[in-house]
Amino acid sequence: MQETLATSTLSVPSRSSVSTQDKFSTAGQTLSTGPRPPRHSIVPPPSKSKGWNSRTKFHQMRRTITEDTEWSLAIVPLLTELCIQHIVKNFQNNPLLKQLLPQHQQKVLNLLSPDLPLAVTANLIDDENYWRRCCTQRWPVCHVAKHGGSWKRLFFERHLENLIKHFIPGTTDPAVILDLLPLCRNYVRRLHVDQFLPPVQLPPPHGELSDSGSDVELEEPTTDHYQLGDLVAGLSHLEELDLVYGVKDCGMNFEWNLFLFTYRDCHSLAATIKACHTLKIFRLTRSKVDDDKARILIRSLLDHPALEELDLSHNLIGDRGARAAAKLLSHSHLRVLDLANNQVRAPGAQSLAHALAHNTNLTSLNLRLNCIEDEGGQALAHALQTNKCLTTLHLGGNELSEPTATLLSQVLTVNTTLTSINLSCNHIGLDGGKQLLEGMSDNKTLLEFDLRLSDVAQESEYLIGQALCANREAAHQRALNPSHFMSPVMAKGPENPAG
Amino acid sequence: MNPPASLGVLEEKEEEHLSTPILGPSIHSDNPQKRIQARRLRIAARPEGRRREVPGEYLDRKKESEEDRSKSYKQKEESRLKLAKLLLCGTELVTNIQVATDIREIHRRVEEEEIKRQRLEKLESEVKTSQDKFDEITAKWEEGKQKRIPQDLWDMLNTQQVHCAGLIEDKNKLISELQQELKTKDDQYVKDLKKQSDDICLLLERMEEQVKNVMKTFRQELNYIEKAFEVERQELLTSNKKKWEQALQAHSAKELEYLTNRIKKVEGYEKQLNKQRIWDWEDYNTIKIRLEQDVQVLEQQLQQMKATYQLNQEKLEYNCQVLKKRDEESTVIKSQQKRKINRLHDSLNNLRSKYAQQITQFQEENQSLTSDYKRLMMQFKELQKAMRHFAVVDDKQFREIWLMNEEEAKDLMSRALDVDRIIHTHHLGLPWTAPDFWFLRNVGPISQQPRKSATQILEEVLMQAEEEGTEETASEAESYLDLPKQISAKTTRKILMLLCDESGFLIESKLLSLLLPLEKNECYLLRLDAIFSALGIESEDDLYKLVNFFLKYQIYHSPSSQEQTSPMSALEPGEQTDLEGQEEESLVEGEPEEKETPPSPRLIHPNDVLKILKAFVMGLKKPRDPRAPMKLKCVQDNSKDSEYWEALTTVIPDTTQNLWDALYTGLEKYHLILTQRAKLLVENGSLEQQNTELQMLLQQYLDSQINSELQVPPTQVFRVPTK
Repeated sequence: MQETLATSTLSVPSRSSVSTQDKFSTAGQTLSTGPRPPRHSIVPPPSKSKGWNSRTKFHQMRRTITEDTEWSLAIVPLLTELCIQHIVKNFQNNPLLKQLLPQHQQKVLNLLSPDLPLAVTANLIDDENYWRRCCTQRWPVCHVAKHGGSWKRLFFERHLENLIKHFIPGTTDPAVILDLLPLCRNYVRRLHVDQFLPPVQLPPPHGELSDSGSDVELEEPTTDHYQLGDLVAGLSHLEELDLVYGVKDCGMNFEWNLFLFTYRDCHSLAATIKACHTLKIFRLTRSKVDDDKARILIRSLLDHPALEELDLSHNLIGDRGARAAAKLLSHSHLRVLDLANNQVRAPGAQSLAHALAHNTNLTSLNLRLNCIEDEGGQALAHALQTNKCLTTLHLGGNELSEPTATLLSQVLTVNTTLTSINLSCNHIGLDGGKQLLEGMSDNKTLLEFDLRLSDVAQESEYLIGQALCANREAAHQRALNPSHFMSPVMAKGPENPAG
Repeated sequence: MNPPASLGVLEEKEEEHLSTPILGPSIHSDNPQKRIQARRLRIAARPEGRRREVPGEYLDRKKESEEDRSKSYKQKEESRLKLAKLLLCGTELVTNIQVATDIREIHRRVEEEEIKRQRLEKLESEVKTSQDKFDEITAKWEEGKQKRIPQDLWDMLNTQQVHCAGLIEDKNKLISELQQELKTKDDQYVKDLKKQSDDICLLLERMEEQVKNVMKTFRQELNYIEKAFEVERQELLTSNKKKWEQALQAHSAKELEYLTNRIKKVEGYEKQLNKQRIWDWEDYNTIKIRLEQDVQVLEQQLQQMKATYQLNQEKLEYNCQVLKKRDEESTVIKSQQKRKINRLHDSLNNLRSKYAQQITQFQEENQSLTSDYKRLMMQFKELQKAMRHFAVVDDKQFREIWLMNEEEAKDLMSRALDVDRIIHTHHLGLPWTAPDFWFLRNVGPISQQPRKSATQILEEVLMQAEEEGTEETASEAESYLDLPKQISAKTTRKILMLLCDESGFLIESKLLSLLLPLEKNECYLLRLDAIFSALGIESEDDLYKLVNFFLKYQIYHSPSSQEQTSPMSALEPGEQTDLEGQEEESLVEGEPEEKETPPSPRLIHPNDVLKILKAFVMGLKKPRDPRAPMKLKCVQDNSKDSEYWEALTTVIPDTTQNLWDALYTGLEKYHLILTQRAKLLVENGSLEQQNTELQMLLQQYLDSQINSELQVPPTQVFRVPTK
């Protein structure tokens, strides 16, 4: 089989040494066995590979030669190969794989068509190459690294996502998805759905009305989306849930109610994630989640056994939602909290800071594009003086100014866990920049400090950059040889101002 | 790291930072080109920077740690730093867009809020004014209800209508304004969308650029690193090649040397071989000639031998005939002999049977005799036992009889002595002293007095010696008593000590080990005991003999040995300690003993002890008969006993007996006189009695009446004897 495959895929450049070797060997065989046609013509293999056909043709052409001293049995296709071809042919009706020897299994898998029904293949075939062929046939671009390096997982996840994306409540049969569940339950770990279609309504009356966008309240009871509960309950290994309640490519058919995350959706989703104990990452972005919905969701997430990352960015969460998130911080093992582009203001930030002050799990907090202002920033800075866990803090675009900078500079001298701070798009000001520079001069752990577009003097920004560079180098040295990591730092100390 | 380059980057970065807010989003398209230019400049400047850097501060900084590291390592480090920087700058460049949109969004939000606030205010004021107007209008309605005049009512309705129209117009104006605003917002939205798409395009462009750039630089750096490795490898290769060549040259030179040596040797060997061959050949020739000569000689000898052989053959044939004859003779003799042997065999058999018979007979005899012997032995033993028993009983009886007799004799003796004493004191008036004889204190038979064994003597001697240390004078008398041979205990002791020290070989080694923990005296005692048992010394006498033998031997040999031994003995380390004590003693005691033992025992050389002992043992063996001493003892005892008993008879000496005889005669005479006197006294007594009787009669008579009657009374005539 290998041989035939090699000959048939001569043009494929990826096969390097093995294929070329095979090529040579087959070429040699054909040359040597050339003048021995009669026996050979008896076994024209009924396979669909072209190599064999061409060779048999070749032999038939040379049939006139009667004597061949170099004839050997090696060219005759083995019975095993014939059997394998037969198995491949009838795989759909009679899937035989586990009973075969490993090398034969490999050959069968290499020959199987990717179009076989999933019901046959899903739980039978584990071979990555087969699933790779399936994936590449279906989708032009596949990022296998995003799916844990497993092609099978990639196939099933994307297949399921596709089905959910195109599920229209009311018209599509829910069995379409639920039938797939027993096949994919062991392989799906991540569910990334960026589109939930609303139920189909009569387009002509709404087409005119919806332009004005005034009839939202009329539609609301009918715009519930697909309920994930049954599906998620069936997926026993689900770890990541990434949802966007919206419609893609709506074009000129835009309606506000296409992007509606209803209360029923919210309740069902909350129940779903509460029931899913394996969930580690939960993302719900760009879905118009307001305070009440956020509170419903977060309440269901309290004391969740596995949740590590919560992403509610690009929503409409205000201070109450932030307060709920702060409560969640102290009632879970959350490591990453993303509230970027919401409407959190000073009180919400203060409650978050209060929770953060004694938290020992959270490593990353993102409050980009909120409006926590100096009050919230100061509260967070105070919290960071006692916190010993947070490594990444994003406070970009929060209307912060000098008082926060002074407090943060104090934090920089004390804190040894922070590695990345982002203060871009704030109004830090020249003095604030100088104070941050002072704080930075005592810090040896910070690796990233973004101060772009925050009115800081060029000089101080440059010097902070130098200090960060030194810290990075020190961290690198530390990673290389953890035994004496102090020496490079000392060596670098005098060099920085000189440079 | 790379100061000029990084500065350039920084400047460029700062330019960006400055430019983005100043230029605003509309001129955003200009920025990337500048950036690209700057980046190109920077990339161009990079190799220079690196070239400058290699000998520059980078080396200086890490000189001490880096010196031993290779060029490739440096290159790697350098590249790493540079690439890190590049990546950082690239990400910054890309994220700049996001930051810019963020700030724009913030600005928009601020503006929006402002506008919203204004709009709300406007709306509120509008609501207020319209409400006022509405109130006014509703108030007018009330007013209008009171109007009765149609004219007025109409006027009022007209004005109301005008008012309402104004109100509606205001509202419509507001609505149109808002709609206008909405429209502008829509326009704005479209613009924003366009801008966003532009931004996204830019982002993509930058990312692509970045990817290209990074790829290029990565490749470049890879090339540099490869080159560095190549150079290093080349250097290594050349150096190794050089080394290799040197080694090869050295090797070939050596090889050549070996070759020449070998050739020389081969030549030499060849010469030797040739020489050897020639020599051997000559040798071979000479040997061959000699051997041929030998062969000739041997052939001659062979001929001679053949001749002699023939001669011998003839002789032997003759001999053979002679021998045959002899053989016949010998066969005759043999047969005779055989017959004789047969006869002798018969006799031998007879004798054997006889012998066997005799053996059995004698064995039986022997058995009976042995049984007899055993029986006799048993009887003898029993006899001996009985004899011993009887001896004991006899001894006992003898002793008892002895004691009885002795008691009797002693009684008698004491009576005699008492008598003697009484005689002496009472009759003679002489002071009497009790006679002191050795036999007086004797109790029991003399022959059975316990004879002390040698060990007891030893014990005593040793004990005395110890006591002497403390009380010398007191024990002196006794020591003489014990040693009748007039050898002081001291000398004995010394001799014994010497003996003990010198003849340790006689003691069993087991005993020696047992002796170690004991006291010095006990130790000596036990050792001497062992020695004596080995020597066969059993009794007191033997011991004294030994001591005497020592002294005599010393006297005999002293003239010859004394001079030699004295200095030697003075040097003896073993006796050195004793010497001082001995000297002191000899100072104290030496004077009285000097006459008796001039040769001090300490002058006996320890080496002589063995000789003396040997001589002693030889001498001792002669008189040693098993039963002799017993008989001797009996005889001696008898004489002593008789002596004793004789002595007992002479407890009162003859002189006293004579005295007693004289006294007896004197006393007899005295007795006679006394008896006479006694008779006279009796007579006297009777006379006195008569006298008294007569007097009584007289008195009677005198007292009688008659007297008074008388004229001359008799009482007056004579004196009346009064009592």
